[in-house]
Amino acid sequence: MALTLTCPICGERNGYEFRYGGEDKGPRPRAEDPAPGHWCEYVHMSPCVAGIRKEWWYHKDGCGVWFTTERDTTTSLEVKQPEKTR
Amino acid sequence: MNRLDGLPTCRIDSSRKIEFSWQNRRFTGVAGDTVATALYAGGVRIFSRSLKYHRPRGLYSLDGESSNTCVGIDGIPNVSAENTVLKEGMQVRAQNVMGTPRLDLMGFLDKLDWAMPAGFYYRTMHRPAAVWPIALKQVRKMAGLGKISPDFQMPGRFDEIYPTADVCVIGGGPAGLSAALAAAGTGLRVIVMESRPWLGGFFDFRVCEYRPGLPLYERAAELAAQVEKAANIQVFKNTAMVGAYSNNLITAFQKGEADDPFDERYIEVRAKSVVVATGCMERPLLFENNERPGVMQAACAHRLAHTYGLVAGQKAVFSIGHDLGIEAAIDLFDLGLEVSCVADIRKEGQDRELVEKLAERGIDFLPGWTAVDCSGKTVKSARLCNLDTYVQEQFECDLLVASAGMTPVTGPLCLAQAKMAYDAHTGYFLPRQLPARVHACGRLLGLNDAAAIEVSGQVAGYSATLDCGVSVEEGLRQAREKLDSLAGPAKGCDLVMAPVKGRKAFICFDEDTTVKNIKQTLAMGFDATELIKRFSAAGTGPAQGAIPGHNLALFVARYHGRSSAITQPTTVRDPLVPVHIATYAGAYHDMCKRTPMHDAQKTAGGIMQRIGVWKRARYFSSDTACTAEIENVRNNVGMLDATTLGKFRIWGPDAVKALQRVYISDMSKIREGRIKYSAMCNEDGCIIDDGVVVKRGENDYYFTTSTARAGQTVEWFRYHSRYDNWDFNMVNLTDAYGVINLAGPNARKVLEKLTEADITNSAFAYGGFCEFKIKNTIPVRAMRLGFVGELSFELHVPSSYMQSLWAMLEEAGRPFNIQPFGLEAQNVLRMEKGHLIIGSESEQRTTLNDVGLSFLWDRSKSKAGTVGAVALMHTEKQEGRLKLVGFKMDNAQRAPRDGSIVVDQNVCGHVCIARYSTTLKEVIGMALVKDHLAGEGAQLDIYEDECNGQLMHAHVVKMPFYDVKGERLSM
Repeated sequence: MALTLTCPICGERNGYEFRYGGEDKGPRPRAEDPAPGHWCEYVHMSPCVAGIRKEWWYHKDGCGVWFTTERDTTTSLEVKQPEKTR
Repeated sequence: MNRLDGLPTCRIDSSRKIEFSWQNRRFTGVAGDTVATALYAGGVRIFSRSLKYHRPRGLYSLDGESSNTCVGIDGIPNVSAENTVLKEGMQVRAQNVMGTPRLDLMGFLDKLDWAMPAGFYYRTMHRPAAVWPIALKQVRKMAGLGKISPDFQMPGRFDEIYPTADVCVIGGGPAGLSAALAAAGTGLRVIVMESRPWLGGFFDFRVCEYRPGLPLYERAAELAAQVEKAANIQVFKNTAMVGAYSNNLITAFQKGEADDPFDERYIEVRAKSVVVATGCMERPLLFENNERPGVMQAACAHRLAHTYGLVAGQKAVFSIGHDLGIEAAIDLFDLGLEVSCVADIRKEGQDRELVEKLAERGIDFLPGWTAVDCSGKTVKSARLCNLDTYVQEQFECDLLVASAGMTPVTGPLCLAQAKMAYDAHTGYFLPRQLPARVHACGRLLGLNDAAAIEVSGQVAGYSATLDCGVSVEEGLRQAREKLDSLAGPAKGCDLVMAPVKGRKAFICFDEDTTVKNIKQTLAMGFDATELIKRFSAAGTGPAQGAIPGHNLALFVARYHGRSSAITQPTTVRDPLVPVHIATYAGAYHDMCKRTPMHDAQKTAGGIMQRIGVWKRARYFSSDTACTAEIENVRNNVGMLDATTLGKFRIWGPDAVKALQRVYISDMSKIREGRIKYSAMCNEDGCIIDDGVVVKRGENDYYFTTSTARAGQTVEWFRYHSRYDNWDFNMVNLTDAYGVINLAGPNARKVLEKLTEADITNSAFAYGGFCEFKIKNTIPVRAMRLGFVGELSFELHVPSSYMQSLWAMLEEAGRPFNIQPFGLEAQNVLRMEKGHLIIGSESEQRTTLNDVGLSFLWDRSKSKAGTVGAVALMHTEKQEGRLKLVGFKMDNAQRAPRDGSIVVDQNVCGHVCIARYSTTLKEVIGMALVKDHLAGEGAQLDIYEDECNGQLMHAHVVKMPFYDVKGERLSM
């Protein structure tokens, strides 16, 4: 896999080691009784815009941390180092 | 054929013979031979017949640039003989021949070329439509390359490695080696890839002087020795680069030598910077019959002699367009080849020294001449033509060395997304814009001067070093200055085609595409090179367009009367050279886990099967209905290895919050000493897991998940709390702890013999959790559960004790005739009890409510804060959902297969599990059915493949089927 990602704990690692966790859509909605449409929107929909996206990644074959990083979806290259501490 | 012995450039050892067979006849080669050179030495001139016309094809190049020398070796078709090192006992066969390569019964097709114009496969034989299926079969039979047996098993050892490097150099010629040395000199880690079995590239086989007293091949050996000696340079020989991707990911594949522990391996290099030094190959000269056996590229004839000790013929004609061709003629003459004449496409601009050397040897030199035709099944004579006057002359010969000049090997650069452009001076496609952290050097840039080639390598090596953050500006500046002072790119030959019509002038050997075919394609209106390639098939063969690559683009530009500057070669795609799929697949990686009691269960007669990542005991006898195992659990006591359950510890101040988030029940109410059964859903409310949670201390919990979820549970917890910064820790104890489920009415009697702890029903009741020691040593976490519907103790103990515990239970249970039981017995036992297995009685769309576990969902909990709760609320009243029901078959003898469908007018669901119940003496099961069939008493009509159109009938009944009051669990 051509992708490399920078894990905040392990540093830059091969993309094979990570699992994609979707775009960063913010915390769970707090409303106790959201309309089904709204809930579906939160769970299933992402803007999927070509370009730089902030995404969640899981270091599955490493330290097991979930972290966000920014990736250019047109080149599949990470564009910014994620912050060193979370 | 006698080998030239004693040439210093030779790579063969003629004292070591290697036996092999060709067309079932015994042949002998020597150590260092490729299959192609060994065959050539044995007198084989026709290696195969061509794809469409069955024309004879022979040795044309030595690096696998065409399918001419594709052969079948040991049952593997389409192996390039040129790139395959000869091994003892190889069985080599010619391809696409009916008869022998020399006398091919289909050879008449060559005369029928008029019936096969460009794209005939798409255009003819389609009307009337009924003709096509018949024609298709005939065409397929007559055309094609090698054939593979459908039951062929690929032999060999395949491997893969993933090295990282600061600089990856592609090409182990003088430029690549110089680049590697420049970068390695600063301490960087360097990888060099070379497709041949040795380093040295274009220097390796040449005897002309690098500087006075030092021939090129010795210079190559010097560079190679330095590179091999450097500790920080890793050299991969026999390694063809096949792909380049973003972030400088380079893929390659390597063929193993005799002492390598692999036959082929896949290499994936991630480098900070890449240097491409792939050099040049020859551009084929287009003339009539330009692919006859006996026509050969200049470097091919040159290397055959210098590397393999083979003079390619008796009497030769040279028609070349580059000084290297003149050099080859001189060298080969000196080795005893009779050279009739050397025709050079260029009228002027040759190296004067070389021309003088020709004159010294009395070889006719014809500047401004080119070959236009040759005759014979293998070359008997060649016709040359003056490019100005069109005067023609015929020469007898058995070898026609033909080449229109050189052309860069641009594949790797193209894959790396370099922008290439035509250069009128060299006649090459040169890199005009390189991607970041990719550098090119050497002959690839059109350089011809030996010193300039090396210095350009240094420039690239230093540039790559800079990419890695090492400061070498001064060295780079000096190398650049030196390069500027040396000879730049030489003027190249721009002839694309000899002055011929081109009916038999082949632009692509692999696909039998002639110049005439290209003209037909153009006449039909295909103007772009990419479209011409697809319609005429030029460049779509196994050699990936190495032969037509640049000629096609140049020919099209000339045809349109356009400057070549605006044309582009067709797109290059990975893999650059053919790779066995077995090589990509790599070693057999399927690894499975075994529980600590694996061997003990096998000894006890367990039939082990792969289930998920584990090997587990499915049955303990050949009776796949497991009647004895089931009856023993129901009436006596059995034990099951349940080690594969996911087991976790979660602790910390926010552990409960995390449990509350993912579990559907209220996890704040777990009492010490009691078990909490609950389930996890995903955000759609679909059930994904169930298991039990126990509290072992303040903010310290131990829980189990299903086997399938063991791998994802930590990730799941962390994912669903990723925004919360909660303070909790998790550890996966699945492999650290083993589990034995001791089940049956006599379970307590067995366990009592092993522990002093009070495990009476009053002290340790159903649903209880307690920790004690067995034989005062083995720490046990014991749970009173009832998955199989009997009194049972689930014993969790550290894995290292599992084997001992298993033996102790066997020993203690002997008076009761304790027996192990397997997964299938458990499956029936739990089905009788109506207990479900997630994934068996649920599928992707099944919610917690659908399987009747809605009692687990605590509605007083925050819905937004619980994964899946909002969706459960939304889907609770939804109509048309599939619901889990229990059923009894009307016919008590026959169980439908798992997965059979439930139908009325439409498909209304499916059978999840159905078995003959030994305990109940009837066929029972569970099914997911549409809600209108889910009511008690509803009739289910079941269809399976084996029912011969006779639907089977069942009726929905209440679950559980067995021990409705649950008395047996709580004995």
